Amino acid sequence: MNDETFLNEQVEVIAVFSNGHQPCRPLKFRRPNGREVEIQELGLRHPVNQGRKTVHMFDVTDGGADYRLEFDSERLTWHLTMEADHYE
Amino acid sequence: MNRPEFNHERPLIMHIDLNSCFATVEQQARPMLRGKPVGIANRRTDKTALVTASYEAKVMGVKVGMKVRDAKILCPELVVIESDPSKYRYVYHRLLDIMKEYSAHVTMKSIDEGVIDFHNTTAEIQGRDLVEIGYEIKQRLKDEIGVWMRCNIGIATNRFLAKQAAGLHKPDGLDIITPANIREVLETLKLTDLTGIAHRNEHRLNSVGIYTPLEFLDSDPVVLQRIVFKSVIGRWWHDRLRGWEVDDVETDVKRVGRQYVLESFSLTHDEVEKRLHHLCESVGSRMRSQNKSARGIYVYAKTRTRGYWHSSTLLQLPFSSDQTIYMLAHKLFDNAPDELKEIGIHCYELEPIEDQQISLFNDQIIQERQVTEAIDGINKKYGERTIHSADTLGTGIYVKQKIPFGSTRYL
Repeated sequence: MNDETFLNEQVEVIAVFSNGHQPCRPLKFRRPNGREVEIQELGLRHPVNQGRKTVHMFDVTDGGADYRLEFDSERLTWHLTMEADHYE
Repeated sequence: MNRPEFNHERPLIMHIDLNSCFATVEQQARPMLRGKPVGIANRRTDKTALVTASYEAKVMGVKVGMKVRDAKILCPELVVIESDPSKYRYVYHRLLDIMKEYSAHVTMKSIDEGVIDFHNTTAEIQGRDLVEIGYEIKQRLKDEIGVWMRCNIGIATNRFLAKQAAGLHKPDGLDIITPANIREVLETLKLTDLTGIAHRNEHRLNSVGIYTPLEFLDSDPVVLQRIVFKSVIGRWWHDRLRGWEVDDVETDVKRVGRQYVLESFSLTHDEVEKRLHHLCESVGSRMRSQNKSARGIYVYAKTRTRGYWHSSTLLQLPFSSDQTIYMLAHKLFDNAPDELKEIGIHCYELEPIEDQQISLFNDQIIQERQVTEAIDGINKKYGERTIHSADTLGTGIYVKQKIPFGSTRYL
């Protein structure tokens, strides 16, 4: 079973901006309930144009679940919009 | 046996195929899915057909086009994910960027496969071994998109054989077909393994005693042209199998359409019409993005009892506004049967918008075009469907934009 939970939580994120193929890499985020999630791998980052605004979708994992973080490049905010686990 | 005349030039056509593309991209994006059987569907319901299956799912017998319900019987642990077109579009563009670094002559055949033509590229690139370039592209996919990405690569003197070569060792192969190994390669294949030979063509070939690709290769071109294919297509097949290029042609867009499998069988006629309206707006937007207008419109519906209904109309004057498309489709749809499970619409007899003749109703047409252009401009700036008909306010959650297979015009 694939349990996907769709969320809209504004989260605090520590990210590194650098050169290379992945110029922005989120490392860790804190959810509103205080839970901190250490990102083990950035699966894919892709931009989505919402009209003239670009939102960057970061699909990441902490090794136990997959998460979708959305970075609004206009407002400079991060939102956790999906959590998926219990794939077995 | 006549010794066939093969193309002995250096193989300079490379076919790249991201097999199980959508599933592979999902496994790249969501590492917890790696190694698991994954199916991609446009909606996560039992009745929806899978648009892609991962290799792990294919091993269990899951096939593209299979209903989710049936796939889960074969593979109970199948993880079904709803398709995410923006993700696949992004990977498509990254792949395209990589390919274009090697040649200006790149043709994408669909969202997950493309061809690099190394004729007329730089001397530096031409001086390199294409097999080495192939492995470099495979590595770049992993470095620039992600470690789970893989592709099949085929190299040959023409597009047909390059595609065949790419299919030889899935999911991560790299093969080259030359006159030296063509017989060896064809010996391992069935007729229907050849791109372009489905059951109908197989029957045609069988009718003259051709049962294998090798027999096809050795067949007389006159027989192929006069008896099997009854046209020049027979000659093309003769040349194609010998490595001569016959498929380097650009196809013009002939129609623009969309279909939708209804999310429920209990929708009223009015609710179905709203979804039709949504499809009309989507088709209109796609058509205008190609700067085309149409003169014909075709509407069809499939019923729950496997019936097929269709109706069409051809006008004197071209049209391109959503309003006109829906007005025409709605009128045709009045005669549609009940108990529908799928609806579709396409516009045909396309022509460039600029070339339209000025008619007696010039003012009205210009006014309608200006309104449509203004709406398209706003939707482009602020996001798809910022402005749409009030009729389709509630349909967006069902009739989502999906990846059009076989065409890269709207990517």
